[in-house]
Amino acid sequence: MRNRKKQLITALTMSLVMAFPLASHADPAKNLAVAGRALTFLENGPSGSAVLGVVFDPSKPGSVAEKNAIMAALGGGYAAGSLKLTGKPIEVSAVGGASGVAALYVTSGVNYAAVGGAAKARKLITIGSDPACAASGACVMSVATDPKVDIVVNRATAAAVGVAFKAAFRMMIREI
Amino acid sequence: MNKQILMAGVAAGLALAASAAQAQSVDYGSLQQLFDEPVTTSATGSPQRSTEAPADMQIISQDEIRRSGETSIPGILQRVAGIDVLNFSVGQSDVNVRGYDQISSPRLLVLINGRQVYLDHYGLTIWQTLPVQLSEIRQIEVVKGPNSALFGFNAVSGVINIITFNPKFDDLDVASVRVGDHGFRDYSLATTFKLGEAISARVSGGSRQQDEWARTGPLPLASDVTDPNTVQAAIDVVAQLNPKTDLRVEGSWSSSHQDGLAVNTYTTDKMITTSIKATLTADTDFGLIQVQGYQNGLTAKYPFALWNNTITVFSAQDLFKIGADNTIRLGAEYRHNTLNTAPLTGGEVSYDVYSASGMWNWAITEQLTTTAALRVDSLKLKREGTFPNRIPLDDNSNWDRTITKPSVNLTAAWRPTANDTFRLSYAQGVQTPSLIELGGVQLASTPFPGFTIDIMGNPNLKPSIVSNYELAYDRQFSAAKIGVRLFEQDWKDIKSGTDTSGLVLPPTATHNAAIYYINASDSKMKGLELTASGSFLPGFNWRADTTYTDVKDSPFAGVNVTKKYVAFQSTTPKFRGNIGLDWTKGPWEADANLHYVSEFKFYSMAAVTLEPVKAYASLSARLGYRWDNGLALALSGQNLLKERQEQTRGLEAERRVQVSLSKSW
Repeated sequence: MRNRKKQLITALTMSLVMAFPLASHADPAKNLAVAGRALTFLENGPSGSAVLGVVFDPSKPGSVAEKNAIMAALGGGYAAGSLKLTGKPIEVSAVGGASGVAALYVTSGVNYAAVGGAAKARKLITIGSDPACAASGACVMSVATDPKVDIVVNRATAAAVGVAFKAAFRMMIREI
Repeated sequence: MNKQILMAGVAAGLALAASAAQAQSVDYGSLQQLFDEPVTTSATGSPQRSTEAPADMQIISQDEIRRSGETSIPGILQRVAGIDVLNFSVGQSDVNVRGYDQISSPRLLVLINGRQVYLDHYGLTIWQTLPVQLSEIRQIEVVKGPNSALFGFNAVSGVINIITFNPKFDDLDVASVRVGDHGFRDYSLATTFKLGEAISARVSGGSRQQDEWARTGPLPLASDVTDPNTVQAAIDVVAQLNPKTDLRVEGSWSSSHQDGLAVNTYTTDKMITTSIKATLTADTDFGLIQVQGYQNGLTAKYPFALWNNTITVFSAQDLFKIGADNTIRLGAEYRHNTLNTAPLTGGEVSYDVYSASGMWNWAITEQLTTTAALRVDSLKLKREGTFPNRIPLDDNSNWDRTITKPSVNLTAAWRPTANDTFRLSYAQGVQTPSLIELGGVQLASTPFPGFTIDIMGNPNLKPSIVSNYELAYDRQFSAAKIGVRLFEQDWKDIKSGTDTSGLVLPPTATHNAAIYYINASDSKMKGLELTASGSFLPGFNWRADTTYTDVKDSPFAGVNVTKKYVAFQSTTPKFRGNIGLDWTKGPWEADANLHYVSEFKFYSMAAVTLEPVKAYASLSARLGYRWDNGLALALSGQNLLKERQEQTRGLEAERRVQVSLSKSW
């Protein structure tokens, strides 16, 4: 009888743990999915096949790990709505000379200011997984998916690189 | 004339259709995939994530509709927290939000893609007339509480906005056959296709019939009930005129035959509805501009009367952002509504409504957002034509009247964390009298020779005003969510039914005695709603809700609320709730929902008295199997716990079981 009670309590506890698990960690693949879909809400944005430059800092393990995860998720081609994305790793020092990319995905921990400056000069849209990137004005947009999807667009940076988002999208995200 | 203008606009729009480019209308599917949650425009007119909408709302997805196995929209709505459904017959139910449900429920505004399908003659929804197949519904948006600051008069207890798949963005092809016991037969087809690069279309149609629930006593009379049936068709065409402009044209037709409780007796009716609607949406430098016009036609045939109701609506709105934090919507609307008098003909009652509205959503900080919406409607009432002999108020100038009322929605939402939302809201809604209540009904009754009583509308009836206060809290866990709602409603000038037990106007030397609608009472309601849902094992999802309401009526001097059919204190149950479970594994899916309603009283069919309806629980369930080639087979049923169950004081609900076969491609 006592054992049955114990089993019942254990089962209830397990159920509660499964129902209310602790917060999970950021998932680069999920961030990529949101970033890719967000690109489809650009006015006159890329369509069909496009290359996403994945900016990383080789001296920072976190940045390298995120780059590897994003590249793995992109694989041979990643479908985001009407857009098919392929990836191209770009070291942070090489952003100024990057070619053939439609947008830059900026991994966490790189020198945002350097990336932002180079991207603005080349009129490239930049998407970061760190809200600080958009907040600093280096990124046009930051995306996060945990605990829920959060998209922040820096209006000044968007204007500087000459991009605009569709009205319905703008009304559903945070602009700064 | 208005129909001709609409058709001309449609033809011109389609002729201008140009090359394909990006989407400008709201693409619900893409936005839902982006934000990983449903998207709605029913709270403020602006597209919003369901968790961030400044209204108390619940969204029912197409997956939930399919898995429910329900055969009707009221059956689906019954599963939503706080929704009251009075199932008077198998073909007609009356639905309301958080109490105050009644015969011919007039407080719930029902829309399909923003077009009113609530019938204006009596101010009710006959669900069988809705020209929509369950398979073509993307989502049903249920707004709880007044929202007439956005939708205008009559969105007072809530709004049901049924959103279909949009042929421009969604690819849908479904055919289904559903057969069941008691003569149930349901056939439906919905398909989308492209006409060149710039034009997309959706066409749908369906029919349904079944046997009425069996009579178990002398009332209702056999001649007052009928086996319900309905046939519907709809077309939806979207033309992309240029990369930033879409024209959407929708048309529909339905013919339905059903019975339902009317006052304290059943009556059969046949309804034929038609609609044509055109919506132009353009993303401009001045914001997202939408111009819309539609016309609804209704032919309502009762054994005692024939009404023709036409409503024409033109509206325009501009939705734009100012800076990063402010979203503004400005709108204007014109509405013309007309109804003949019946069964004594000769007159026509109509009104024109001029409306102006605005909404301001201000993201003060990342955590704190306020929304304010205001709408002013000005209704100009008119009557033309002749009067029956000796009827009171027999001068058309009695109808020369203007009603101007504001509607308000104010909300402050605070999100201290990404998982917690507190929302405090106030709303004031306006419920206008229906055209029948304003004079559309003219009926002479002669209880004995030489004495005639006229049953008639009342042009001086005041609108009912509702104020709603609500505090809401939502907590999102990674595999579960909970919600708590505390609310209070204050109703002023509730309108009565027609009370045949007493005269409102005594006879005079020149006029008959008369019975008509009056403003009968005020009423207050307090309540609490608790919701929870989540998943606990792979493939299993659970949900539970309960809503408590406590209604106190304050009848006006000399009014007997029972005889006036406004005894909401007695006819509103204290509790209603649901416990549900669904399961998916590979091609298998199953769903079960237990719906509970506590004891309440309702009007007897034998006399104008209240009789108890015992607390009841009803179970609906479905078991389905889906093949990879799009075929699906399912067994479903409603009211499964008992062969026969009293859910109102009318016909008893019966256990019904169906088998369905559908094919998607």
